[in-house]
Amino acid sequence: MRIKLIYWIGFLWIFLIIFRIEAIINYALLLPAFFGLMFNNINTAMSLVNFQFIDSIFSFIIIILIPFIIVISYKKKNFLNKQIRFSEAVIILLLFVFILTPLIAASNPGFSKDLSVTKLLSPFSKVKIIHLKSTEKYKDSDSKYFLNLRDKIIKPSFDESIIFADSINAGDKFFYYQKNVRKELPPNSIKTVDGREMITDKIFLLGTDEFGRDIFSRLIYGTRISLLVGLASVIVAFLIGVLLGFIAGYTGGIIDVILNRFTELFLSFPSIYLIILILALFGNSLFTVIFVLGISGWMSLFKIVKSEVVSLKHKDFIASAKLLGMKKRLLLFKEILPCIIVPVTVNLIFLFSAVVLAEAALSYLGLGTGTLYPSWGSMINSGQDYITKAWWMIVFPGISLIATLFAVNSYGRKLRFINSSDND
Amino acid sequence: MRKEFGKTFIKRFLSSLLTLYLLVSFLFIIIRLSPGDPTNKYVSSQLSPDLAKKISASFKLNEPVSDQYVAFLVNVIQGDWGTSYNYHQPVLRVVWQYFSFTFVFALLSFIIQLIFSFYLTIFIVNKRNRLLDKIVSDMSLIVYSIPAFVLGVTLIYIFSVNIDLFPISGLRSLDFEGMSFTSKIFDQIHHIILPLITLSAAGIALFYRYLKDNIDVVLNQTYILHLKASGFRNKIIMTKHILPNAVRPLISVAGIELGILLGGALITEVIFGLPGMGRLTIDSILARDYPLVIGCVFTSGAVMIATNFIADLIKIKIDKRLTVELMN
Repeated sequence: MRIKLIYWIGFLWIFLIIFRIEAIINYALLLPAFFGLMFNNINTAMSLVNFQFIDSIFSFIIIILIPFIIVISYKKKNFLNKQIRFSEAVIILLLFVFILTPLIAASNPGFSKDLSVTKLLSPFSKVKIIHLKSTEKYKDSDSKYFLNLRDKIIKPSFDESIIFADSINAGDKFFYYQKNVRKELPPNSIKTVDGREMITDKIFLLGTDEFGRDIFSRLIYGTRISLLVGLASVIVAFLIGVLLGFIAGYTGGIIDVILNRFTELFLSFPSIYLIILILALFGNSLFTVIFVLGISGWMSLFKIVKSEVVSLKHKDFIASAKLLGMKKRLLLFKEILPCIIVPVTVNLIFLFSAVVLAEAALSYLGLGTGTLYPSWGSMINSGQDYITKAWWMIVFPGISLIATLFAVNSYGRKLRFINSSDND
Repeated sequence: MRKEFGKTFIKRFLSSLLTLYLLVSFLFIIIRLSPGDPTNKYVSSQLSPDLAKKISASFKLNEPVSDQYVAFLVNVIQGDWGTSYNYHQPVLRVVWQYFSFTFVFALLSFIIQLIFSFYLTIFIVNKRNRLLDKIVSDMSLIVYSIPAFVLGVTLIYIFSVNIDLFPISGLRSLDFEGMSFTSKIFDQIHHIILPLITLSAAGIALFYRYLKDNIDVVLNQTYILHLKASGFRNKIIMTKHILPNAVRPLISVAGIELGILLGGALITEVIFGLPGMGRLTIDSILARDYPLVIGCVFTSGAVMIATNFIADLIKIKIDKRLTVELMN
């Protein structure tokens, strides 16, 4: 089961374009509207810029640029023609989701409304959305066009102008049903387009959770959290491990002994206890989780770097670089790091999978990045309470977690295999 | 040789003691550095400041940290780990209650992991079936990638919720006390099967991977080819030459794995509501039960160091050349 990298990327791109064409058109309109606003009234424009906005625009730009990048690099680079396996395909998919999150997820991960209708819906279930006439939110004529457009794209976590209903009964009076409760809408309160009342269907692709939130978009945003925590922690661990390893291996002596003791100390008890200890005592947030996972994973890296530095230290090219007056920092990055990049990379990949697993476990225990961000682990944790009624709350985050870990592990294994066969 | 072995032994032992001392100090420091007051749980310092101070004094939290540290160390050397705030019992007694369960549980899981992975590997290697080998190889990586909480919850969903074969959680049934001896044992086994599967699955996959990779490496060595050319039977080559060489690197991995298991299988214990070290540690951390936190983490640290130590000794026993190498 192999597929060319370029076909896989192309497939994902076309898939996304087809299913999100409406959103992409809105983005395309939003960008000029924003520039127009910036031209007229730069203060208002700047005050409207926030993370969500930049994030959405960025994902739009990326999706537009992907074909150009492929066309430009197709001739020069050979890697696009490489056959990729399942594991690499999953990694590419994860990167797609990680970068293009706002585009892929159709709704806000925290959106919840009309619980009686949307609570614990099974995958592919359909509900009706009644769009109400809303009073004009924005008075200012300058930015009105832009703001209305923005609201279409950046989904809010609450929207009072829509009602979810199981079924509707439009006659003389307009009735809608929410879990067998009949409710009436006053006449002329529904938004009309071309004289027809706007009532649309919404399909919850992977169902909803106990608060009526869309599991699909929570899953997509959860991917971002998992990968972000994984990447950032790996960087923290990389910096600590390489720096300490270099110092210990290069200087030797008493510093080496002390750092070795320090490593032994960190290795002497299960690191999950250290992580939970620090998170529980000092409070948990996204940054503490990243930091703590980073400082609990640098030990194996330290050992690798140290032993390699010790063996490299007396090689001729290091000695000559030193005699030529190369600074220690440059020596590390220019001479030593390129020599050990392969074992270090393999180690980092396995560390990444360990960190993703640890983050999910922490979220499962309720000690993760907090309730602000959806996370696979916390989704499984909340699904556990509804295990008899809603299997989809556990199955989908579980599968994404397993697929991610499997892909990363088998990729790391492949790299290690290549590495060891190079050495022989 | 014997002298060198003794030297190595003593050196390793002293180094382990030093690590344990550092561990205790590290835990003590990190706990005292943290914000928050354990007395807040029992009495509000705003409502009754005098009482809060009294409780704080009874916990000896009002003394300077250096004095606390020295007193703590002296007590620890005398075998007194303090009294748990929550359980109102000496820490060692609380830890012992929970550790006895973890010990049995971890050892069972460890034995299952070793036996299953060993025979699975032997089976696959003897079959010499490319397709089967590949399937099991991929399966082992998938099983290794399944987080314990996903596996545990899935098992509960299938075996407890849907077909009601095993109990969801706990260690014994409600009417445990009234049972006869045999049904008591049966009841415990009945309760522990799902947790054991959850805990062992990843380990089986891990050991399988290591053993299989090692056997593959050994199979390509020239001395195996020589043995084959000399007309030895496959079975003898397998048992006398391949396995001893392939198992040897596994020992240190097994030591680490056993250490981690004995330190408490946190996730498994949380899912199945088992009274083990993992849950005790987490509960004590979340309740800010400082003496118990130190006791628990120290215990798991000591167990981990001990298992690594034993693994090294076994390795030296098998291969005497390692004495010099492990000394450094």
